Amino acid sequence: MTTTNLDPSSIPLPTRRRPRFGETGLRLLAGATALLLVAIMALLVYETVRQARPSIQEFGLGFITSDQWNAVTDQFGAFNFIIGTLLTSVVALVIAVPMAIAIGLFLSELAPRVLRTPVGVMVELLAAIPSVVLGLWGILVMGPFLAAHVEPWLSDHLGFIPLFSGYPSSQGVLPACVVLSIMVVPIVASISRELFLSVPSDLKQGAMALGATRWEMVRSVMLPYVSGGLVASTMLGFGRAVGEAIAVTQVIGGANAISRSLFPPGDTMASRIAAQYAGTPTALSRSSLAYLAVLLLIISLITNIAAQLISGRLQRRLGGAA
Amino acid sequence: MEMTGMQRVTKTAALAMALAVVALAAACGSSGSSGSSSGGGSTSTVLTGAGSTLVAPLISQWEPDYAKSAGITITYGAVGSGGGIDAITNRTVDFGASDAPLSTDQATACKSCLQIPWALAATVVTYNVKGVPDKLKLTGPVLAAIFSGSITTWNDSQIASLNPGVNLPSTHITPIYRSDGSGDSYVFTSYLSAVSSDWKSKVGASTQPAFPTGQGAEKNSGVAAAVQATDGAIGYVAVSYIAADSLNEALLQNAAGQYPEPTTKAITAAADAVTTIQPDGSVPLVNPPASAPDAYPMSTYSYAIIPQTSPKAKQLKAFLTYAIGPTGQAFGPDLGFPPLPSAIVAHSKTVIAKITT
Amino acid sequence: MSTHEERNPLTVVSPRSRRRRLQGRLMELLASLAALIAIVVLLVVIFSVAKRGLPAVNADLFTQVAAPFGVEGGGIKNAIIGTLIMTAMATAMAVPVGVLLAIFDTEFASPQVSVAIRMTLNVLAGVPTIVIGIFIFGLVVVSNGQSAFAASIALAIIILPVIARATEEVLLLVPSTLREGSMALGATRARTVVSVILPSAFGGIVTATIVGVARAAGETAPILFTSSIFANAVVTDPSQPMASMPFAIFTNSESPSQHDQQVAWAAALLLMAFVLIGSIAGRLLSLRTRRQIEQMR
Repeated sequence: MTTTNLDPSSIPLPTRRRPRFGETGLRLLAGATALLLVAIMALLVYETVRQARPSIQEFGLGFITSDQWNAVTDQFGAFNFIIGTLLTSVVALVIAVPMAIAIGLFLSELAPRVLRTPVGVMVELLAAIPSVVLGLWGILVMGPFLAAHVEPWLSDHLGFIPLFSGYPSSQGVLPACVVLSIMVVPIVASISRELFLSVPSDLKQGAMALGATRWEMVRSVMLPYVSGGLVASTMLGFGRAVGEAIAVTQVIGGANAISRSLFPPGDTMASRIAAQYAGTPTALSRSSLAYLAVLLLIISLITNIAAQLISGRLQRRLGGAA
Repeated sequence: MEMTGMQRVTKTAALAMALAVVALAAACGSSGSSGSSSGGGSTSTVLTGAGSTLVAPLISQWEPDYAKSAGITITYGAVGSGGGIDAITNRTVDFGASDAPLSTDQATACKSCLQIPWALAATVVTYNVKGVPDKLKLTGPVLAAIFSGSITTWNDSQIASLNPGVNLPSTHITPIYRSDGSGDSYVFTSYLSAVSSDWKSKVGASTQPAFPTGQGAEKNSGVAAAVQATDGAIGYVAVSYIAADSLNEALLQNAAGQYPEPTTKAITAAADAVTTIQPDGSVPLVNPPASAPDAYPMSTYSYAIIPQTSPKAKQLKAFLTYAIGPTGQAFGPDLGFPPLPSAIVAHSKTVIAKITT
Repeated sequence: MSTHEERNPLTVVSPRSRRRRLQGRLMELLASLAALIAIVVLLVVIFSVAKRGLPAVNADLFTQVAAPFGVEGGGIKNAIIGTLIMTAMATAMAVPVGVLLAIFDTEFASPQVSVAIRMTLNVLAGVPTIVIGIFIFGLVVVSNGQSAFAASIALAIIILPVIARATEEVLLLVPSTLREGSMALGATRARTVVSVILPSAFGGIVTATIVGVARAAGETAPILFTSSIFANAVVTDPSQPMASMPFAIFTNSESPSQHDQQVAWAAALLLMAFVLIGSIAGRLLSLRTRRQIEQMR
């Protein structure tokens, strides 16, 4: 029997290896990209506000309530375009959100399994259509179609509602609403589908066991369960609609005034920037367009953060309830 | 072996990141001289310009011809007069082109820019109404009323009284205007301001006026497209676009009570009637006096906007001399541009002489 | 068996339950109708573009640049090349940064920092693209002039959140057993990432890249102010402004000339085909990667 004469104190302790260059390198590099992200965000806000500063100093918050936009008198105000933005986005949401929630339901509950993936893919492909292509289709196909067939019908049958009064026009607020709803549907639909899929099956089965029809189960169990998430997805859709410049500017007709009707041309904040920024005549008009961009930035920040907070809260609740 | 593989990956990632950071740094850092020119200095064979869509057809004729004769490539972006003024103010192009002269503020911002008349043309009112023939007669005040929304249908008595014998339908009028910064807008609204004090006080003249009603479109081509596509539309385009897109043209009553067609002869008559050159180098031609009975009332010069000091002074002077000279001007008449009057050519030459490196 | 003859209380059809059933069926029908409408709209748009674009897809489209004023004809050769170059540059900038960001976020950052980064990415994703256009215009174009490079930077910023989020998703899919196993063998965090996680997630990164490319190719707003004044010829120098397909569609869509409009449709067809095929390919690849990672569990 051999016993190694091992003195415990003579066993070398494993030395802590100094991290090689590779490891710290990757860590530093990855951390640097995080800093880069913050830098980009900060620069973005800084540059936009810097460009808007002369207009902010000149008009202050009165910019939001003034409906003037006149390069001759150098008076600018965002009111008409804020209304235009709200009008187009809200109408788009009214059209798109119920439809998208229904689609989410269809894809998660109602569709035969074999249809779920192809239909789901096709709905998502709607989001992949470049906005300039939607705008092209809007100018040359959809707008004229609306003006020739839909708007006269609306005007004849629902013309007592101010929204549907006035002369049909192939460029106007209504084509912009249609284009925006096409963009919002896939966003809300894919989130809705995931939300519906996340409802615990015991909740659903419990309702069915109590004798509810499938629709009653949806209405009384699923919809309340995901309502917060649906609100969040609507806000994301709203943010998307508010920020769209290209397709809207192609079909909305760039007018200076607002109207109560959806038919005549109008303008939104994003669309006005796209149409007028390159080559606007005075320094104050350029700065006012940047002020519009600042307002857009604020709206998108608020809707985005609100949506994230709501869905964050929802996730925590779901995690706890499971 | 594995450690070096690890280091290799990290180094590649570091390189890619460094590239991205260098890219961003280069974007922020460098001070710009004449930005988009490929190599400044007097040996460049490229001249870049941007601006007026009115003069764009003429420049597109100059481009191949000048490349052949002088070996210089002209790159022109027709983005509208406003965009041209912006671009030359930022010195992102070598020359700007605008049908509207620089305002006082724009001139200050441009830092000693020269305005050189290099083309003579006109803005023409066009319309598209089913059943209404070409060459409808309109007066300035009626036009102002249409574009301010007081006249809303084509069979309005004010239009009908000017055009007896023309069957005007009750179609709704859709005024179409330029939404971008436009020299044609400037000419159009200058004319309306001259003939209608109501228009002058309510809207005024500008490259981007606040039209009270109607629909906006970008560039001359956009207005032409919008007018073509809308029954009942009325708009204004540069003269070249009337023939090119087979558009109707409206006849405007001039100060002498005549309704001249916007031919080169009528535009020349306007140019001959207004010979005073303003202190800023511009020559406004709208609404010439009644002493010129054949003058077309919405004629305009188009200006090249050149910085007084430019690293490409030599090339610019040669190009401008070509443009205002007989070779360049010869391309004009087919596009509706009469040749520049000799007095203006002489004036332009003196301004061109001021360009230095 | 004989219980079938007895009245089963669960299947009794009273008038009230009939109404409820009918109401349920109606709602389900409406939901299916909604899905149908969405698909119909997609097909209508694709069909419109195809019907009008296909006749205009000919050799001229690819071999010629735009015709001078008044001359019929011309193509989008310079626009196609411009889009290829700008998309490649944007992807080259965004993919390394996006992947590294995702790695930092999932592997190295503390939970709070991770949440902050994710939030910032989501915020950046929500910034309107026109605002990004103004941003890069003020930052780069005012002092240096327009260039394809400036446009690429704007595009890169737009697709950065797309790539980072997609990469993050796939990194998170990698089972923690792999991570733990690697660490148990003595590898450091970084080593684990490079040798274990990235290879498993490689398919996902490729998917993220494809999705990013498809997105970058179709954006117009960032190009409006950064690469809109360009030569009517093929340009390959990134410090010069270049034509691009979205911009060509944008300008031609507002042109009075029939030919220009047809060119717009053809360009839209090409762009849409590229984007749709990219999206579908990305999806298929993502499914395959997910299956591969599942098998590793």
